[in-house]
Amino acid sequence: MATATAETGFDLALSEEQELAQRSARDFAREKVLPRAAEIDEHGKIPPEILREMGALGFMGTYVPERYGGSGLDAVSYALIVEEINRACASTGVVLCSHMSLAVDPILHHGSDAQKEKYLPKLARGEWIGCFALSEPASGSDAAAMRTTARRDGDSWILNGTKNFITNGSLGNLAIVFAQTEPGQKHKGIAAFIVEKGTPGFSVGKLEKKLGIRGSDTAQLVFESCRVPAANLLGELGQGFKIALSTLDGGRISIAAQAVGIARACLEDSLAYAKQREAFGKKVADFQAIQWMLADMATEIDAARLLTWRAAALKDAGEDHILAAAEAKLFASDVAVKAARDCVQIFGGYGYLKDFPAERHYRDAKITEIYEGTSEIMKLVIAEEILKE
Amino acid sequence: MKILIPLKQVPDSTVRVKVAPDGTSVVTEGITWSISPYDEYAIEMALERKDADPSTVVAVVTVGPERSRDALRQALAMGCDEASLVRAEGAAPLAVARALAKVVAEAKPDLVLCGKQASDDDQGFVGPALAELLGWPHVATITKVVPAEGAVELWREVEGGHEVWKAPLPALATVHKSEKEPRYPSLPGIMKAKKKDIPERPLDALGVDVAAPTWTVVSMEPPPARGGGKILRDGDAKQIAERLATALRDEAKVL
Ligand SMILES: Cc1cc2nc3c(=O)[nH]c(=O)nc-3n(C[C@H](O)[C@H](O)[C@H](O)COP(=O)(O)OP(=O)(O)OC[C@H]3O[C@@H](n4cnc5c(N)ncnc54)[C@H](O)[C@@H]3O)c2cc1C
Ligand SMILES: Cc1cc2nc3c(=O)[nH]c(=O)nc-3n(C[C@H](O)[C@H](O)[C@H](O)COP(=O)(O)OP(=O)(O)OC[C@H]3O[C@@H](n4cnc5c(N)ncnc54)[C@H](O)[C@@H]3O)c2cc1C
Repeated sequence: MATATAETGFDLALSEEQELAQRSARDFAREKVLPRAAEIDEHGKIPPEILREMGALGFMGTYVPERYGGSGLDAVSYALIVEEINRACASTGVVLCSHMSLAVDPILHHGSDAQKEKYLPKLARGEWIGCFALSEPASGSDAAAMRTTARRDGDSWILNGTKNFITNGSLGNLAIVFAQTEPGQKHKGIAAFIVEKGTPGFSVGKLEKKLGIRGSDTAQLVFESCRVPAANLLGELGQGFKIALSTLDGGRISIAAQAVGIARACLEDSLAYAKQREAFGKKVADFQAIQWMLADMATEIDAARLLTWRAAALKDAGEDHILAAAEAKLFASDVAVKAARDCVQIFGGYGYLKDFPAERHYRDAKITEIYEGTSEIMKLVIAEEILKE
Repeated sequence: MKILIPLKQVPDSTVRVKVAPDGTSVVTEGITWSISPYDEYAIEMALERKDADPSTVVAVVTVGPERSRDALRQALAMGCDEASLVRAEGAAPLAVARALAKVVAEAKPDLVLCGKQASDDDQGFVGPALAELLGWPHVATITKVVPAEGAVELWREVEGGHEVWKAPLPALATVHKSEKEPRYPSLPGIMKAKKKDIPERPLDALGVDVAAPTWTVVSMEPPPARGGGKILRDGDAKQIAERLATALRDEAKVL
């Protein structure tokens, strides 16, 4: 693994169990998910048996410790699995990304023992799906400007507000919800709550119609005098914004891995097509113009993957990974968008048709530059990190 | 019941096989290796027995080079209980069967399940040879195993239906297919497998010689590149049919 830690040195070899995990995910993705990717995109729905099997295989709790019903692997294994699932289908991939990085991870790192024991086993086995509710209609990049409020009332908190764009919002059984407990205090007054689906006052609003990842549900979540037990406060009062940011640091590794998966789909599909399509009496792959696109794709995918693995390895080592995760996401998402554009180009007119996967990659790739922090926000984070010394 | 599965590690089915410059072997550098597909069915069949009766013990063994340890680890990750490696490079098929006979004598399984053939050489040799060396009943190409008082019922697919054979234990069967597709190793399965030891010994520790009467490959060639098809356009249906019949008889020589 490409880590900067003294103990591990510079070693790119995966461990035996990381390789086995990668292989299981690859075989499962190729045989069970890929054949349904076009249908998932077309119908805007992931067959429940796919998610069930991902749960049974332990993917939904990859790095949750065994004592909480998880698989006990690490963030690097998780990045490998995320790449494989997204290689097959980015809609299915993002269900895993949002569930594991954005809902399971904050409970694992900030939850009380009681919260971990109550929620992690169900989530890790995929019996429950989680989601992360930070963005609002009027606040995305500037998340601290959120308007959702939480007011203490005896042994509960009363939540009011609307969350927007929530991945797994309608599929999910549990949401990590951020709200202002001291309106006017901006990021200092934010707290995080674990809110179960079915809690009175918590409802799912409209489902968004989207350009890509159409099989993934993106929902509005509405909280109207929603009473949440005080025991469901995640972490401390006033720590919510920090929890959101550190959760997103991990989530960005996951989106980087998603982008690598999408880019790899572009490369593999382009290679197969270019080797069999003929023009001017030659295989299209024989034209240097096409070869250069393929060469760039291959190089950039390798580089993006190495950045992603490094960020994951730093996370596993318990080291600061803010910069590494932001770099990985910024770069990998750009690589995916470019690879998708070139993939459509290599497919020529067929790249524009629904009968071929290129146009789906083209639509799916774009989101990786937007969610969990736009590319502009990644640059902001990177600049802040490198300028702070 | 104890079930032993001798498995072979072969090039993965997604590998594009290329003939090596020597013209008698295939290129193996940098390729992905897997458990041979029929062996995977055998593993799945055994694990389905174990799902039904958790007291079932499923063991795997391979006679092969060091890299085949990965195939054993994968079998453990799928849920097998034990694995062992008999290290050998280029052992003759009969030597493999002889080594396995020694392993069977030690491990004393009730049932040995082999894949009906390995997907690399497609010889279908080791299963029947092992049964012969052991002096055990052998049933070929089964699709299902059902325990029956001191015996097993072995199902075989035949034209339009199936046959059920009964063999006293111990017995050996070769597997054509399992009821379900072979399972993927789950992450918890991988972590359990990690904790297991895979003991290893060289072939000669079993008193078996790597050489034995065997065949050698004389030459290997990729299939000829397929020529473009031919479209018969001119003329009416009768004329085209005549020319098609002529072409099938004189050019393709299939009539
Ligand atoms: C499909 C999908 C799924 C999503 N899933 C989730 C989810 O599960 N949970 C969740 O909480 N949110 C989710 N989001 C929301 C997502 O994180 C936000 O859309 C994203 O953070 C951008 O916020 P915004 O849309 O409000 O854009 P804005 O913040 O309004 O940004 C508009 C533009 O301005 C730029 N910009 C903003 N601030 C700056 C700055 N300081 N410097 C330079 N440029 C700037 C942005 O980069 C962007 O180009 C999802 C969004 C989508 C589309
Ligand atoms: C929506 C749509 C509408 C269309 N409308 C019409 C229409 O009204 N009438 C009509 O006649 N056609 C139409 N077309 C067809 C369109 O013009 C062709 O798709 C286009 O010319 C590319 O041809 P192709 O798809 O066969 O790709 P190919 O020729 O197979 O090209 C595949 C790839 O190889 C590259 N390539 C090919 N040759 C070379 C070379 N010598 N050097 C370097 N690179 C090369 C291409 O640039 C491309 O990247 C339409 C296509 C679409 C998608």
